[in-house]
Amino acid sequence: MSEKMNFFERLQALDRRWIYLVVLLAIMVPLVIPFNSKTYVTEPSENVYKKIDSFTGRTDRAILMCFSHDASTMAELFPMEVAILRHCFERKIQVLTICFMPQAKPLMDYAINTAKEDYNVQSGIDYLNLGYKPYGLFLPIMLGMGDDIAKAVETDDQGRKVDNLPIMKELSNYNELNLVIDFAASAAVYSWIIYARARFGANVAAGITAVMAADNYPYLQTGQLTGMLSGLKGAAEYEKMVDVFAMHKDEYGNPDPREFSKEVIKNTWIKMSDIKERRYKTARIGMNAQTVAHIMIIFFIIIGNIGYFVTRAKKKVTAE
Amino acid sequence: MKRQIPLIIVIGLGFVFVAHTFIPAKISVDFYEWWQTWSKAISPFAVVLGVMSLFMVHSTKITRKVSNWQYSAVTLGSLAITSLIGFVWGTQEGTPFMWLFKNIQMPMGATMFSLLAFHIASAAYKAFRARSLEATVLLLAACIVMLGQVPLGSQISKWIPETSQWILNVPNLAAKRAIALGVGLGMTATSLKILLGIERTYLGGGD
Repeated sequence: MSEKMNFFERLQALDRRWIYLVVLLAIMVPLVIPFNSKTYVTEPSENVYKKIDSFTGRTDRAILMCFSHDASTMAELFPMEVAILRHCFERKIQVLTICFMPQAKPLMDYAINTAKEDYNVQSGIDYLNLGYKPYGLFLPIMLGMGDDIAKAVETDDQGRKVDNLPIMKELSNYNELNLVIDFAASAAVYSWIIYARARFGANVAAGITAVMAADNYPYLQTGQLTGMLSGLKGAAEYEKMVDVFAMHKDEYGNPDPREFSKEVIKNTWIKMSDIKERRYKTARIGMNAQTVAHIMIIFFIIIGNIGYFVTRAKKKVTAE
Repeated sequence: MKRQIPLIIVIGLGFVFVAHTFIPAKISVDFYEWWQTWSKAISPFAVVLGVMSLFMVHSTKITRKVSNWQYSAVTLGSLAITSLIGFVWGTQEGTPFMWLFKNIQMPMGATMFSLLAFHIASAAYKAFRARSLEATVLLLAACIVMLGQVPLGSQISKWIPETSQWILNVPNLAAKRAIALGVGLGMTATSLKILLGIERTYLGGGD
């Protein structure tokens, strides 16, 4: 009996470096050896996909992607940015990108370059990178876009006059730029909700780190947020939707994109090995690591509590 | 005058912008456009101010050889090298700037954020104890939400993601909304105090 109690006491005093080692292995192994796990699509992610997909082939509609994060949260947000860009390029959806943080600028370029590798898309025609604008201009630009995009942001990333670019022919304000997606590890999306949504009626969605997701539920419920991609899970869901619908191929292997369907997504299982490019399954591979890490943490909580209660019971007996 | 002029500017412009929101007259729209142009011209100067401030703080640390002054040298050196590389070769894909970003900033940023996983695991083991009823509820909620966030949760039972979603949609939402209402009321009160000149701490000087 006493030996067993000593074991729990030892557990209580376990050096945290052992915990770090277990966590390291729990994260590293699934990343190095990916396994197949099912991705379940949630409604907030589904709404983002459906809204973007509704702009397919339209020259009088576009989405705006605002990159409001740095490299530290890239693991969660970058895969969703690439997946959305891939969706846009595949389905001929016009996309504009902008950032107000200098650290986000290389990330924005990196995401565009990663997604466009397989597509013959041109800046100024199929997509438009508006580049980095100082944060002090965040509010004037956000409000200005409600009146005239080309006036609010006069030049793009390459210094070209935005007004003269083909992509802008039928885009003037939030009536056409009808979905703004802000990617952040902070509450940056609230500004879009307060100004672009409340004042101009723009649809706003969020791509956000998992720890920040809980803060956005009130806005999802009221409909102020059209949808939300929450952390790596949201990114994995979007990757799957792009593969299942936008990238769908007919029996001869020709592109045959299809409309979103709850039934189809629920019953579709994609093997990791079926997707050749790692950049298109980053989030799903990451979800393997996240699954193991979450189970590990729950295991630690249980073990820690067993140790706590056994030690407490022993102390009580000793005191009596 | 040092305090009165900024105060007059803040109060005056504050009321003008409140009026602009509610008055869609031409003069109001023209003023708003004029302000937008000016703010675009003024805002980039904040970058210059930021760089100057950074340089002054760190150069003082280096000159005075305060403890850990070496970090300041690294900060200023990195600032100079990154800026120079960006100005000379540009910031597009394939440039040395992008190489620096992909090979230095990206891994360093990711490393800092990923430390969180280790701390959470360690804290979960060492401190997350069912010491009281409230702590037990929190612990159970955390476990359910964590399981609901990964595919395994759905595979174990469909009630896990459903319960997880309920926790986020009901108790979490209620608490968040209450906080948001409190913050909103606080912001309104503070804004009114600034507009009326009652709140002046933003001017500095201590009163």
